[in-house]
Amino acid sequence: MRKSRIVTVFMLISIMFTSLLFANGQSEESTTADKLFTIGMSQCNLGEPWRVQMNADVKSEADKYDNIKVIYKDAQNDTLKQRSHVEEFVSAEVDLLIISPKEAQPLTGPVSAAMAAGIPVIVLDRAVIGDDYTQFIGADNVIIGKAAGEWVVETFGGKGAKVVELMGLQTSPPGQDRHNGFREAIKGSDVEVIFEADVKWLEPNARKEMESALSRFDDIDLVYGHNDPAAHGAYLAAKAAGREGDIQFIGIDALPHEGVAYVKDGILNATFQYPTGGNIAIQQALKILAGETVEKNITLGSRLFTTDNVDTGGVELK
Amino acid sequence: MTDSTQTSALMKEGRFVRFLSSSAGRATIAFVLVMLLGLIFNADGAFFKLGMHRDALRQASVFGILAVGMTVVIITGGIDLSVGSILAVSAVLFSILTLHLDWPAWISILSCIIVGAGLGAISGTLIAVTKLQPFIATLAMMTFGRGVAKYITGGQKISTYLTNSDGEVIIKELPRIFKVIDSRIMGGNIAIVSIIFLFCLLITWLFLAKHKWGRELFSIGGNEESARLSGVPVKWTKFLAYTVSGIMCAIAGIAQAAQETQGDPEAGGGYELTAIAMVVIGGTNMAGGRGGMGLTLIGILTIGYLEKILSINAVPESGRLLITGVIIVLAVLTQRKNRN
Repeated sequence: MRKSRIVTVFMLISIMFTSLLFANGQSEESTTADKLFTIGMSQCNLGEPWRVQMNADVKSEADKYDNIKVIYKDAQNDTLKQRSHVEEFVSAEVDLLIISPKEAQPLTGPVSAAMAAGIPVIVLDRAVIGDDYTQFIGADNVIIGKAAGEWVVETFGGKGAKVVELMGLQTSPPGQDRHNGFREAIKGSDVEVIFEADVKWLEPNARKEMESALSRFDDIDLVYGHNDPAAHGAYLAAKAAGREGDIQFIGIDALPHEGVAYVKDGILNATFQYPTGGNIAIQQALKILAGETVEKNITLGSRLFTTDNVDTGGVELK
Repeated sequence: MTDSTQTSALMKEGRFVRFLSSSAGRATIAFVLVMLLGLIFNADGAFFKLGMHRDALRQASVFGILAVGMTVVIITGGIDLSVGSILAVSAVLFSILTLHLDWPAWISILSCIIVGAGLGAISGTLIAVTKLQPFIATLAMMTFGRGVAKYITGGQKISTYLTNSDGEVIIKELPRIFKVIDSRIMGGNIAIVSIIFLFCLLITWLFLAKHKWGRELFSIGGNEESARLSGVPVKWTKFLAYTVSGIMCAIAGIAQAAQETQGDPEAGGGYELTAIAMVVIGGTNMAGGRGGMGLTLIGILTIGYLEKILSINAVPESGRLLITGVIIVLAVLTQRKNRN
């Protein structure tokens, strides 16, 4: 038994070392530049496809320039881990910090500390408290939810519509905002929500809840998913019941390989983009590093992709 | 106690009562309670539609397959926390092989099962040979497995939408195997995933009831030392238990991928808890040695129907959690044998 334990320990150690071989794929090396800037990118959770896309947008923009190198850290949805990531970037003396914080309150202090150390900070998507940062870049979920509601009212103009709403996690601000914006837009119209469920952004939950809605209501005109996977899950449920032709499906986020592809494929009727701002962050970072003054707040615009315009890249909202 | 006088009075009614006081009978009481809940809160008659029952069974199927493997492990007195992660590995592997690499369906399925069995076997080795506690060994496998799923996908879902080197999205045809697994037979009344689940359950049930290995599992769970002394190959039997659980996870992962039409590296998060709840509500003892596949079937139906009933009534999340917690306690309380 002791021997087998030694063998196991040896195996585990060798696994550890082999996996470390993969670890250096994390940072971007670039060459041929007079001054090389290092940017720290602190991401709160790469478990979400939308955030994977944000990092991909940062990377594809950063790849265009030779004089910047981005180091990525993923806090795996852990506030304290993200806090130490910020502190690590500060002690590594990066030239600029991009942070997409998990929560405002606990990360405000670390961001201020970075500012105090002379490192400019771009805050992406979720805000921190106060104004001790260089720039905030983000989109507005209330506006996007509202746009979705307005689109439904317009599309069904006067005929009225029975809507199933499959909501994102209702304890998270994006879920609440997408709900409130939508409800505000349909208020007073003849669009009526007949079934709502908190699917916590997850597609399997959405399919489950949609099946319940289908078995309960014979007449459903539209499904509003707070994200594209929710709308997709609802579509699969409707398809299994043979009712996908009677129902329209709309979602939010419009990731290229998700929502936009669903619209192209004829699964969703519309998707509203919730931009990651990853590319804008790099463009702004270059300005900041060049010593230019930048706007304090940038609210990102959204795009609408429908069956008609998806091949031409969608249209800008507003 | 009034309880015991009631019991003795009821005893006279014979076989029905004897059934009710058996483990299966107690498990059935919980199931009947949940069904009563459905009859009362029938969501404008939705509960009486055939489609609802078909969907309830289909939704419970992936969890059910996990619970089958979990039952085997729990009978030995162990636990398997890694089921959700191994499910995810299998789901993404199946999607990569069929969607991206265009492998034939049966080779892909076989590969997934081999990988699932392999991961289960690693847990089994750590527990049976290295003598790690099952909770710790499978906790490690849960973390490791999730890492594998994320590593081989790069954190992205594996779907029919591929991005080529120019950043353009190409839409691929969904392979036939996905449609086959997510289809229904018998006039559209039974989902294939439900058949797969029932098949897994039946085979494992037969092994537990008829095969020597089944008896050995129970004897290890009852008393490992006396099982060893009476000549039971303890290490081998335990190793097999976790391997079987790994195979079930692989099958569940394929069913999950087919229903989602994609492989999600985040799939199956928290599924281990539902699977454990199903096994426990059925009446299989967490300490090992007592239980069975029939009991687990009742447990699976109880939780499956409970979720469905809460869902058709559009009960808010908070209410669902409250009610599910209460039902689990009630069900396990009815399970408890009189101790006098």
